[in-house]
This record gives sequence, C-alpha cells and structure tokens, in this order.
Amino acid sequence: MAKVAREMVERAGVNVDQLLELLVKNAAAELTTYYYYTILRVNLIGLEGEGIKEIAEAARIEDRNHFEALVPRIYELGGKLPEDMKVFHDMSACPPASLPKDPTDIKAMLTVLVEAERCAVRGYTQICNMTAGKDHRTYDLSLAILNEEIQHESWFSEFLGEGPSGHFMRRGETSPFVRKFLE
Amino acid sequence: MQRFTEKELVQYNGKDGASAFIAYEGKVYDVSRSFLWQDGQHQVLHTAGVDLTAHLDQAPHGADLLERFPVIGMLDED
Repeated sequence: MAKVAREMVERAGVNVDQLLELLVKNAAAELTTYYYYTILRVNLIGLEGEGIKEIAEAARIEDRNHFEALVPRIYELGGKLPEDMKVFHDMSACPPASLPKDPTDIKAMLTVLVEAERCAVRGYTQICNMTAGKDHRTYDLSLAILNEEIQHESWFSEFLGEGPSGHFMRRGETSPFVRKFLE
Repeated sequence: MQRFTEKELVQYNGKDGASAFIAYEGKVYDVSRSFLWQDGQHQVLHTAGVDLTAHLDQAPHGADLLERFPVIGMLDED
C-alpha cells in the first residue's frame, strides 16, 4: 500500500473503502466484459457481423487494458482483488454481456455491446464525481477510462442507428487515453 | 396495488433472502432480480428498502432506468 497516497485521499474527504469497492467492482466489470466480448467477437460473422467485428475487438482489448490500469491503483490505496475468480465475476459493477439467444441477431448483439458500454460510462462518471479535486490520480485514471468508454458507446450506438456520434473508429494503437497508465 | 409505509419498506432490503424493493417518487419498484441490486446493494452507495427519490439527482443515470423494473406498490407518506 502507498501509505501517504491513501492518507492524502482520506484527508481530502473521500471514503476510501467505498472508493476501493467501486474500483474493484469496475475492475471486475472490465475483466468479465473482456471475457464476454471474446465470445461476442467470435460470433460476429456474416455480412453484418464482420462489419462490427473490428470495433468489438478494439473495445475488447481496451477493456482488458482498463482492468490492467485499475489494478495498481487498487493496491496503492490498500485494496485487493478477491482470491476467488467467481466472487470477482459476481461482484461486477455491470451485468454480464452475455451472447444473445440468437447470435445471428446482430441488433441484439449490438444492444448487448452498447448496454455494457453505457454501464461503464455511468460507473466511471460516478468515480470521477467522487474523486474530482480530491483524489487526483484516481480521477485522472477514471477520466482516461471514461474517455475510451464513451468512444465505445458511440461506435455501437451509431451501428444501432441512434444517430451520429462524431467519433471515428480507432486509428493506430489501442487505448490512446489509458496507455499512460499501462506498466 | 399494495401500499407501503417507509417503515414497511425497510423490511425489503434484499438481505438474507428478502426481496429488494426501492421507492422513487411514490412508486415502489421490485429490483430483486437485478444483477445490480444483489443483496440489496447498488454500486456500493445505495441500499434497498428505502425511498431513493432524493438520491437520484446524484446518480449517473436518470429515472428512465427504473422503468425496467416492475412497479409493485405505492409508498405512503409516514
């Protein structure tokens, strides 16, 4: 644990135990989403599915990066991940992004994807609100993740025909916002 | 439709097998089947069995998400 780092956050008025629980739950959401997106991606086939596969893959890799970036902050603040993977799965901040009953239903697939991203956007907004001006490092990290989650939501939302988002698909390397936190 | 007082609502806190009910603007919603309300806890900060009307303003979502859950009663003012 980074003792003084935690102390600074506590002294700024943040309930660190609550914050840690939220960080662990969101880390669980990232890793489980990475897993579920793997299944979704392999089922994105055919004329419609192939068109979405590339952004689903970018979102999948970036969600794994979010997990990797969250873990050091959890331990710095004195938290830890559960030893039992099942416990970790079940405490996720977002519901499982399960494969739709009909995996050829691309609209259903996109709905699963956009719902997962919207859950993440809400989660990191909450953490940003909780830490703004108080816990600079967690805020910076959560904001970086939030930026990428908003892009993911936009990509899938456009495919669902919800209107233009102004975002382009990823060019260059993944995680342009979170990369600086990856060790 | 069933009517609840705030004292009665407290029993439905989602703990130890109890149902998880929450109130918002006079309506009582059953969130027991929600993944996000396991054991009557929601995103660390909220618990079932209470009127959350005053809390929704600070939540990162609107009341529209409550429409996904069945309304099972009305909350009476104590």
